[in-house]
Amino acid sequence: MLNWGSMSRWFTDSRDRSLSIEVDRLTKRFGDFVADDAVSFSVASGETYGLLGPNGAGKTTLIRMLTTLLPPTSGSAWIRGHDVVAEKPAVRSAIGTVSQAVTTDENLTLEENLSVQGKMYGLWGHRLSERIARRLSQVGLADRGRQLTRQLSGGMRRRLEIARGVLHSPHVLFLDEPTTGLDPQSRRAIWDMLGELKADDPALAVILTTHAMDEADFLCDRVAILDHGRVLCEDSPEALKRGLAMGERAEIETDHPVQQVDRSGVEALGAVNWRQITPTVMEFQSRPGEGIGRRAAQDLEERGYRILHLTIAPVTLEDVFFSYTGRALRES
Amino acid sequence: MKARTDREGASRPRLAILGMVAICQRAYLTLWRQPVLIISTMLFPLVYLLILGNALNRQLRHIPLAVVDEADNALSAGCRRGVMALASGRELVTAVFEADRDTALADLRRGRYRGVWILPFRLSSRGPAPAFVGDNTERFSYDTLESALSQIWGEVARGRAPEAIVAAVHLEAYPYLDYLTYLGPAVVCLSIFMGSMVSGGLQVIEDRMYGYHEGYLVTPISTGTLVAGHILAGSIVASLAGILVLIAVLVVLPGPTVSHAAVAAAVATVFLTSVSISSIWFLLFARARQASVLRGMFGIINALLFFPSGALYPVESYPPWLRAISSVDPLTYGVESLRDLLLRGASAATAYPRWVFLATFSLVCGVLTKVLFRREV
Repeated sequence: MLNWGSMSRWFTDSRDRSLSIEVDRLTKRFGDFVADDAVSFSVASGETYGLLGPNGAGKTTLIRMLTTLLPPTSGSAWIRGHDVVAEKPAVRSAIGTVSQAVTTDENLTLEENLSVQGKMYGLWGHRLSERIARRLSQVGLADRGRQLTRQLSGGMRRRLEIARGVLHSPHVLFLDEPTTGLDPQSRRAIWDMLGELKADDPALAVILTTHAMDEADFLCDRVAILDHGRVLCEDSPEALKRGLAMGERAEIETDHPVQQVDRSGVEALGAVNWRQITPTVMEFQSRPGEGIGRRAAQDLEERGYRILHLTIAPVTLEDVFFSYTGRALRES
Repeated sequence: MKARTDREGASRPRLAILGMVAICQRAYLTLWRQPVLIISTMLFPLVYLLILGNALNRQLRHIPLAVVDEADNALSAGCRRGVMALASGRELVTAVFEADRDTALADLRRGRYRGVWILPFRLSSRGPAPAFVGDNTERFSYDTLESALSQIWGEVARGRAPEAIVAAVHLEAYPYLDYLTYLGPAVVCLSIFMGSMVSGGLQVIEDRMYGYHEGYLVTPISTGTLVAGHILAGSIVASLAGILVLIAVLVVLPGPTVSHAAVAAAVATVFLTSVSISSIWFLLFARARQASVLRGMFGIINALLFFPSGALYPVESYPPWLRAISSVDPLTYGVESLRDLLLRGASAATAYPRWVFLATFSLVCGVLTKVLFRREV
C-alpha cells in the first residue's frame, strides 16, 4: 500500500476535494484493547454524518484521531485531502470542534472567549469582531456578548461552544454529543441552529456523535452505527429503517384474555416478536414494509374481542440501533 | 465565494504572535475577574515578610541571668558593673545577684535563668576566669549571653571599664527594620513565585482537567507557541504581583535612595525572574493532569527554590551541596540582583550577567517543555 502519510503532500491537489473526510481502515489500539478497528467511511462536503453507538463504541476515539488529538495506530484519514498525521496544521485550520469538554472560560465574557479563540486562527481586529458578532447572533446570543460566560444556562453555554467551533468558518465541524444533558427546548434550538449554519454555508460538512436516535434521524444525511470499534452499518436513516427485519410495532389491549387460537390468527397475518405483556395486553411487530397493526386489531374485533387500546409505533432509528447492537448493557 | 478566502490558513508568524496574545489575554482577563487570586498572591509574601522579619531578627531582650560573685574583689566588681550596664542600657539581661552558686544552678535547671555567670574565688586575669553556665536548649540566648559576658570579661581583665563597650552598642527604635529591608527583595521574589504558580502552573492543570486545553490543541497554533504563550502568560501575572510588591517595598521600607535607572532595572529583573519561574512550573506540569500533583509539589518546589536562594540567609554560609542548588536557582539571581540594585545602589549593568542567566534558564526550560509536551489528549 502506498504510504499516503508521507506522499499526501504531493497528492494534496489531486485528492478529491469534494470529499471533506476520508477515513481508510483507521485503527486505534490501547494495549490489547481495540478502540477502533479498521474504520472506513467518507463524508462529502455539505453532508451531515452521524456516528451512533453505545458508550465505549469508539466514537470519541475516532473523533479524536480525526481532530489530531490522538495518533492512529494504523490506517489513514484525510480532512479535505490533508493527512491527519502528516499535515496536522492544515487539518487543524480546516476543522472546528465542539467537544464534550467545556472549552470556554467561565470567567470571560462571551465576546472575550470568542476573541481568544479567533486569534488562535489568525483572526484579528475588525474582521474578528465582525465575525464574533455574526456567530453570536447565529446562535441566538447576540444580546449577551458582554455577559460573563458563567452566567449562561447549560443550553446557552452549549450554543456558545458551537459559535466557538464555527467562528473561523471551518470546512468540517465535529460535534461530539452536542445535545447531551439539555432540555427539549435547548435541544430543538440547537437542531434549528445547526440547520441555519448549514443554510449559511452549504459546503460545511458536519460529523456528529450522539446517543439520541431522534437527533440523528432529524439531523443526519447518513449515519454509521459503531460498536466495539467497528462500523456495523452505514446508510441514510430512511434506508436503514427500510432495511430492518421488522416493521412497525403494535400494542393491543383487549377486554378479555386472547385465546391461543385467536393469537395464531394474528400471527398468520405476519406478526413476529410476540410478547404477551399481560393476559390482555400483547405486543408484536410487523415484517418490514407491512403495517399489520390495524388489520390485527380488526381481526381480533371480528373474533369477538373489544379493543380497549391500540398503539402503532413506526420503525425508528432506535429499532435499527438495537437490531445492530443488541439490548445488553455495556460494561465499562 | 467570499467565505472561502477566510479559510485559507494565516501565516506562521502571524499565528504565533496572535496565539501568544490570545493566551496572555485570557490569563490577564481571568486575573482581573478573580481579584482574590492576586490579593492572595501578594498577601502571602507580605505576611511572610512581617512575620519572619519580626519573629526571626528581633534583638534579644530581658534574658534572665544570675551572677554569683564568690571573688568579691576589684575584678569581680568590674564584671558586676558590666552586667548592670547590660541590664540597664541595652536591656539585654535581667540580672539577679545570687549569693550561692548551688541555688543559682538549681534555679537555672528549673528554667528561672537562661544563664549563670560565676565569678570564682580569687578571680584574676591570670586565672581563675569567670565561668558561664548557660541553658543550651535555647541557642540564641545562650550564644548572645556568652558573647556579651566574654566581652565584658575581656575588658575587665585588661583593666578597662566594661561600660564602654556595652554603651557602644547603639539602640534602634525599630531594630527589626534592617532585616526587613534585607528581606525586601526576597519578598518580591516570593510574590513572583506565588504569582507564577497560581496563574501558570495551576492554570495549566485546571485547563487540562476541565478541557479548555483541548480547545487550544485543535487550533492551528504550533506547540512552541502554546508553550511560549503559557510561560509568558504566567510571567505577566507573576511580574504584576512582583512589581506591586516591589513598589510596596520601596515605599514602606527605608533603604538607600534608588535611581530611576535602578528601578527600571529592578522591574526588568522581576520580569525575567517571573519568566524563568513560570517556565519551571510549565516544565513540571508538561505532562501532569491532576491538581493533586501541584498540591504535592508546591511545598517541595517552594523549599527548593526559595530557601537556597539566599532570600533569608546569605548563600556563602551554605554547605556545598546547598550552594550547588543555589547556583542554578533562578531566585538566587533575582534576589541578588534586586539586592544590588535596591540596597547596595549598584548600577543596572551589574544585573546584565544575571539577566543572561535567567533568559538562558527560561529558554532551556521552554525547549524541554516543548519536547515533553504532549499535544494528544
